[in-house]
Amino acid sequence: MSVGFVDEEQDPDVRFVRGAGRYVDDIKLEGMQHLYVVRSPYARARVLSVKGGITGDELKATMESVGEDAGGRSTVSFPVLSASYVSYVGQPVAAVLGGDKYEAADKAEEVDVQYEPLKPVMDPERSLESEPIHPGTESNLVAAAELGKDFELKAPVEVDETLRMERIAPNPMETKGMVASYDGSLLTVYASTQSPFSWREGLAGSLGLKEESVRVVQMDTGGGFGSKGGIYPEYVVAAYAAMKTKRPVKWSESRYENLLATNMGRGVRGRMKVYADRKGKLKGLKADLLVDVGAYPLGGGAWTAKWIASQLVGPYAVPKAYATAKAVLTNKVNMGPYRGAGRPEAAFFMERMMDRIADETGVDAAEVRLRNATTRRTISPLGMEAPPSRRFFMEALRAFKYSSRKKKEKVGLSFFMLIPAAYGGESAKLAVKGGRVKVWMGGSSHGQRHDVFAKKLVSEELGVPQDVIDFQHTDTAAISGGVGSWGSRTAILGGGALVEASRSLKAAAKKELGKGYSPARILEGDYEAEAFFKPKDMLNTLGANLATARLTKEGNAVVEEVLSFYDAGKVLNQFMLESQVTGGVAQGVGEVMYERAVYSEDGQLLTASIADAGVIHATEMPKSVVMTAAHRSTLPHGAKGVGESPTIGVPPAATRALEVLLGRRFTTLPIEPEKLWALDVSDGGRTR
Amino acid sequence: MTQAHHVVVEVNGVKREADVEPRLLLVHFLRENLGLTGSHIGCDTTSCGACTVLLDGKAVKSCTVLAVQADGRKVTTIEGLGADGKLDRVQEGFVAKHGLQCGFCTPGMVISAYALLQENPDPTEEEIKTAISGNICRCTGYESIIESVKHAAKAGRRRKAPSRPSRRRS
Repeated sequence: MSVGFVDEEQDPDVRFVRGAGRYVDDIKLEGMQHLYVVRSPYARARVLSVKGGITGDELKATMESVGEDAGGRSTVSFPVLSASYVSYVGQPVAAVLGGDKYEAADKAEEVDVQYEPLKPVMDPERSLESEPIHPGTESNLVAAAELGKDFELKAPVEVDETLRMERIAPNPMETKGMVASYDGSLLTVYASTQSPFSWREGLAGSLGLKEESVRVVQMDTGGGFGSKGGIYPEYVVAAYAAMKTKRPVKWSESRYENLLATNMGRGVRGRMKVYADRKGKLKGLKADLLVDVGAYPLGGGAWTAKWIASQLVGPYAVPKAYATAKAVLTNKVNMGPYRGAGRPEAAFFMERMMDRIADETGVDAAEVRLRNATTRRTISPLGMEAPPSRRFFMEALRAFKYSSRKKKEKVGLSFFMLIPAAYGGESAKLAVKGGRVKVWMGGSSHGQRHDVFAKKLVSEELGVPQDVIDFQHTDTAAISGGVGSWGSRTAILGGGALVEASRSLKAAAKKELGKGYSPARILEGDYEAEAFFKPKDMLNTLGANLATARLTKEGNAVVEEVLSFYDAGKVLNQFMLESQVTGGVAQGVGEVMYERAVYSEDGQLLTASIADAGVIHATEMPKSVVMTAAHRSTLPHGAKGVGESPTIGVPPAATRALEVLLGRRFTTLPIEPEKLWALDVSDGGRTR
Repeated sequence: MTQAHHVVVEVNGVKREADVEPRLLLVHFLRENLGLTGSHIGCDTTSCGACTVLLDGKAVKSCTVLAVQADGRKVTTIEGLGADGKLDRVQEGFVAKHGLQCGFCTPGMVISAYALLQENPDPTEEEIKTAISGNICRCTGYESIIESVKHAAKAGRRRKAPSRPSRRRS
């Protein structure tokens, strides 16, 4: 079944350092054409006419809601190619084909699109009072949720604050892309993806095909961070063009296109009010959230506001809580998941309030948190279940050497809960043939190096050496179903499925071989086993971060060190875990100091290069120390999720460290650069 | 299509010739004309470094060099490192210390590190960071990459004879 692009018997490290990785853009097929997408230069406009290329009049398809943020259906449909009006800069309106990228781009010049520009809605705070961006709708409100019960309370300490996390571009190093090829009955798609199965569902749905007539094969995938879980209009157009011309079609976007037209994360405002006693014990919490879902509320837009609100209480206990949350439309590219997807927003809002309570009461920031931590499993008034947290946080403070570090350094702390996206479970398959074991998972590694834990688990379960195990990229033709890699889920769910599939394969071999059974005999036979693993227990886990900040000799505030202490359950591979976490620390610090999508009032993206988007460089990276608390989960392999922990825990801890260093209150991420300096460098201004 | 120019470029020790458009970028020449897909394209603003190659021994971003500018010159891509099927010590360093996750930035990182060690066989951590500061990695947080470069530098010092005569540090 292998399509032969990737040599899966070779160690991925070796393939990648040789330049022998096989990404979508590396594919060359006989007769292949390149697709170039013509995009709207306006944030909001009527489309008066489109002449040339494949247009929305020819391809009257709309987008399906699939992947990580799939969910509720919206009344607004998202056209693959818009023929009537456009709602964000970069929205596809037409597409052309050429023999190579240059020729395709030249041909795009010949496409004539006439627009009548309209005033865009850019500020989510003013979205509801603005004219609806979609004709025929009544307002820009996408969803409104109310959680918990409203209450009245007088408390000795009452603090309110408006907090913001700005929009962020996910910026995987490999931009989005695919190659489609059609043989008259089967559409084969080679994909840079987190989820071939979501792609299959989405492409089949948008093109009106049966899922059996679509095969999606994952290529080496150069990062995703949430942006490659679902499908985009360009994928549907490329697939359509391959079917129409009966020739393979490649679509591979530039970074500029990636920034304009890839779902962005965050973009949430939280108005928080907390009530506490003078010792910092929480009495009540009220919140009002506003989520900017961009132009088309594809799935996630409908439930993100409620999802964030539901986890505001985090790992703490509060007697009363009430939250309202709204999701509204603006003329920007759609909101989508970005590493953490709702979890970082909730943690940032709550942890900022914990620090405010510490400041108002004079109680130490760690002590405030401990006083509100729990000793038993709880369900918050907003409906979220949490494991007992107090003991874990005391463990974290000891691991951080918090008391002594706090005396000497400018430190910030965060406690949080990670809710892995366990819904739907995950699949895995093993096939033994010719002395080798092939392994697939339904959710696809796009940089996490799932091959490392997969080989270890299968080797341990079957008793065969790791070097006979070949980890395969996900292929919808090779495994019967699957979900996707996101939400800190694959090691726990895919890993659980691997264990189950290994055990059933082993049982089958034992039954067949009887007394002659041995692990070596498994390799002599032909066996297959597939498992779909759906855990029943709550898998929410806890984490803590400590960050320190200092001034450079020039007076710039920087994050110096980030300590992570996460309950990852039984650690499947210590090095890979540390590497995952340190990569997440980079993103967390980037989010605090640099990363942001900025739009002009007329809807143009001002941060339209990867440099402007603020992705962190080696010279800006703080020291990262990763520690784990190995409290086994109830899963067969004992693991817990960890992938998103750093983007949840690092932003509030790093923000606090900078706040303590500079004596300024920070409420919005990223912090504006002009607020990150000090004239007096005598305190903490050790030279770099 | 504008008039084609004939270019002769020595790529990884082999003379390659082609008629190319003047606008053709070196990275596209390498990837599309020669099939050397190890040099990756991660941006369009010379910011990410995934396309880094050696041009006459100097690290350059091949997305910001025209193929015609490479005419008559020597290019080394990631595929040209190492010899006789063996990895170069920089590549070995990245394997030994897992200086990668998704692998997309890796070829550019390896080439930048290789260029650094040619110039400076014993770099400090700060010098390594500066040398790779034109290469963006979104996965690792750079620590394992820095460790990989250190590993390679150490291996080079052990071997004493670097693969090419290196200049003394000024």
